[in-house]
Amino acid sequence: MPPCNDPIRALAERTALVDGMVEGFARERLWPSFPAGLTLMAVGGYGRRHLFPYSDVDLLLLVESSRLAQDAPDAISAFIRALWDSGLRLSHSVRTPEECAEIHDQNIELNVSLLDQRFLAGDRALYARFAERLPRFLHAQRDPLMRNLTTLSRERHRKYQNTYYHLEPNIKDTPGGLRDYQLVRWLAQIRSVEAPQIEPAFLFLARLRCFLHSRAGRDQNALTFDAQEQAAVYFAAPGAAQWMRDYFRHARDLYRAAVREMESSEAQSSSLLAQFKDWRTRLSNTDFSVARERVHLRAPHALEADPELALRLFQFVARHGIRPSAAAEQSVAAAVPQLAQWFSTPQPVWPALKEILSLPYAAEAVRGMQETGVLRALFPEMAQIECLVIRDFYHRYTVDEHTLVALQAVEGLRGTREPAVKRYTDLLSEMEEPALLLCALLFHDVGKGAANGAHAEASLRAAEPALERIGMPRAERDLVGFLIRQHLEMSAVMNSRDLQDPATARHMAARVETVERLKALTLMTYADISAVNPSAMTPWRAEVLWQLYLLAYNELTRELETSRIPSVPSETPQKRAFLAGLPTRYARTHTAEEIDAHLGLDGVFRQRGVALSLEKVAAAWRLTLVTADRPFLFASVAGTLSSFGMNILKAEAFSNSQGTVLDTFTFADPTRTLELNPTEMDRLRLTVERVVLGRLDVRQLLQNRPKPAPPSRNSEVRPTVSFNPEASDSATLIEIVAQDRPGLLYDLAAAISAEGCNIEVVLIDTEAHKAIDVFYVTAGGRKPETAQLEKLGGALQQACGG
Amino acid sequence: MKKIEAIIQPFKLDEVKEALAGIGVDGMTISEVRGHGRQKGHKEVYRGREYTVDLLPKLKIEVVVADSRYEELVKTLTNAARTGKIGDGKIFVYDVAEAIRIRNDDRGDAAL
Repeated sequence: MPPCNDPIRALAERTALVDGMVEGFARERLWPSFPAGLTLMAVGGYGRRHLFPYSDVDLLLLVESSRLAQDAPDAISAFIRALWDSGLRLSHSVRTPEECAEIHDQNIELNVSLLDQRFLAGDRALYARFAERLPRFLHAQRDPLMRNLTTLSRERHRKYQNTYYHLEPNIKDTPGGLRDYQLVRWLAQIRSVEAPQIEPAFLFLARLRCFLHSRAGRDQNALTFDAQEQAAVYFAAPGAAQWMRDYFRHARDLYRAAVREMESSEAQSSSLLAQFKDWRTRLSNTDFSVARERVHLRAPHALEADPELALRLFQFVARHGIRPSAAAEQSVAAAVPQLAQWFSTPQPVWPALKEILSLPYAAEAVRGMQETGVLRALFPEMAQIECLVIRDFYHRYTVDEHTLVALQAVEGLRGTREPAVKRYTDLLSEMEEPALLLCALLFHDVGKGAANGAHAEASLRAAEPALERIGMPRAERDLVGFLIRQHLEMSAVMNSRDLQDPATARHMAARVETVERLKALTLMTYADISAVNPSAMTPWRAEVLWQLYLLAYNELTRELETSRIPSVPSETPQKRAFLAGLPTRYARTHTAEEIDAHLGLDGVFRQRGVALSLEKVAAAWRLTLVTADRPFLFASVAGTLSSFGMNILKAEAFSNSQGTVLDTFTFADPTRTLELNPTEMDRLRLTVERVVLGRLDVRQLLQNRPKPAPPSRNSEVRPTVSFNPEASDSATLIEIVAQDRPGLLYDLAAAISAEGCNIEVVLIDTEAHKAIDVFYVTAGGRKPETAQLEKLGGALQQACGG
Repeated sequence: MKKIEAIIQPFKLDEVKEALAGIGVDGMTISEVRGHGRQKGHKEVYRGREYTVDLLPKLKIEVVVADSRYEELVKTLTNAARTGKIGDGKIFVYDVAEAIRIRNDDRGDAAL
């Protein structure tokens, strides 16, 4: 097949050929019966002289009156038959000028086809009557026409998941296909405005469609993998994957132009809707104004002097879910070269990015960053996966699109009610820093651009310097790095290991090490699988993944008591004595600096009987306490913090072989007492010390505080208290999930101590008003008796309000 | 011709596929299914709530082969899918009346 370098000319030539055939057959079969009162018009693609090799030929027979057409049906039939028999795929209709000037809600195509009409042959006076009516009709019916057209197009876009990134696109119907080119032109024509510049994309697709038609010998518009291979040769491109990147760039231009044109039409056609949407204008601030459901930059030129304005724009998008206006997008896109320059030197933009990723519409904001080029300016590493095609039967999207769809999958978890999915939603709400999960997803497949096979390591190598460059702290980089490196692990275990085998649970637990990481990796796996194709996350897979999560979760909880740090001969005697017997979790969740600080406290404790430190961490406070274990200790400290009005968010209590306990409490200070009154910090420290040393009774402290209202029975979290005596050889596991409230931890711990039980290990976590508490308890050095547990169960239920 | 329908443990899929490819059987239909036989379900405890897994996730493999090949296929499949524990699954064998390749009307063994 010779390359078709000038598709416009080729299409026009075919149109002229068909014109000749139509006119010839009309002369023979039609005009003898219709000397007047009948006009032949070319409409649709034929009308605009874009007749592809195997496209339908749309013909309109305009008749003076419907009676006239009925008078000579044989002549019309003979004419149509002759065209069919000559091999044309004819699509025809017979209408009067009046019928042409009616709005057809059920047959939008008819109205739309008239936008591209032209006279072919027949009664010129009749055509003149029609042509005179047409502009009036278009003007009068502008709004319903635009509405019908945009509704139809949005339905078509939805059918293809609103994305142009399909690995085997239909070049006519997929978003960014030829239909979007027509849509842009029609809407501009109806609104009497100039159509945007999209001809290069049209020329590319027109050439491609000519090729696909000639190749298949029929109206074939699917760009299959086979067709891509051949098209790359035909277009003289270096390879199919490379050539598809060209295709996607053109499709992107058309799709964006189509979306913009539809939005402008909708804004113009529905002033009532626009007014309704305008209530959001109150969100406007000094940087941005909101109008017609779009964010506008108040001073676009400020981008040059203030590159962070671009990030603030996307923070705004992520917070409110309002997209930037076309003008704002263009301004940002124009500033990309300066942004790239600015980002190329280390800039502490992680706090700004973290905020974007923490907000409810993060996925939408990141999509905006990608479309404007800001994401690539920030992370040039992303260039490797732009429009990158993975050619197999499972992946539906290009790698960059897969990444964005994965972010959307996380966002989609919020607000779902589907029970099989809801449990993943719960996991997400229990995550302390969802932004780190999204950040890991952003980079998880970046290595696919460079590596064959093991891309997880390549992704990590690309991510590490990038995250360091934007100033992400070490601890956060560790978690993100862990998630990127292990992002295939759970899928691999699901597919290749026996979930019933206890070794699988141990393997998974050893890989993730902590419950926090397990939750993040489970969600990462959920999002990654969901973004392979729209039906990849089947209920079956969601179930298998959940079972794997359960196994590993239960293993990690069991391990808290059973897996202890052995005596390490290489350490100093003091460090060896301190570490020996602490849960393995301690070593996994603390840095070397933190362990050294705890050792320092241990030294103080040996001299004074108690040692504690109080420090501010991010938005909360942390109290660390080292002392000798004794009954009621944990409850007393929790109670002391409550008596100061503090709200405990997290707590851990570990003890080593020598009976030294290390308790950490992370708590919020809702009234900012400690921050505003430095003397209160000293008073808190002193009070805790006196309580620990038994010089002050915590019940006295709590006496004067108002008893908090019991949690409402309608609260979202139904309290559960469960015992598992099998979890460990020496202690019984108590797991409690309850609605959080001030003083809850004190009440729970006090109930356990009051029952004569000793608290061996504690892990408390509070996220989204839900307290998740794990206690390991003993009584007299053994597991508590059943009767004792039954009594304790009742007391704990009461404390939870259940 | 025989149709072999095998319910197997999900984690055995790769081994089974490789074993079948080893004896020249490449075509098969795989579906995600849930069910239980004698293994029944089991209970998981998560945060104190018992969580019954009564229908276990399994995979169903369907293959149609010529009569002459079916014993070999069943043997290969059993060996690959077996762990020796409860829950390994089952194989069902059916007689197939006819096979037709839609593309070119091939019939019988030629269509397989």
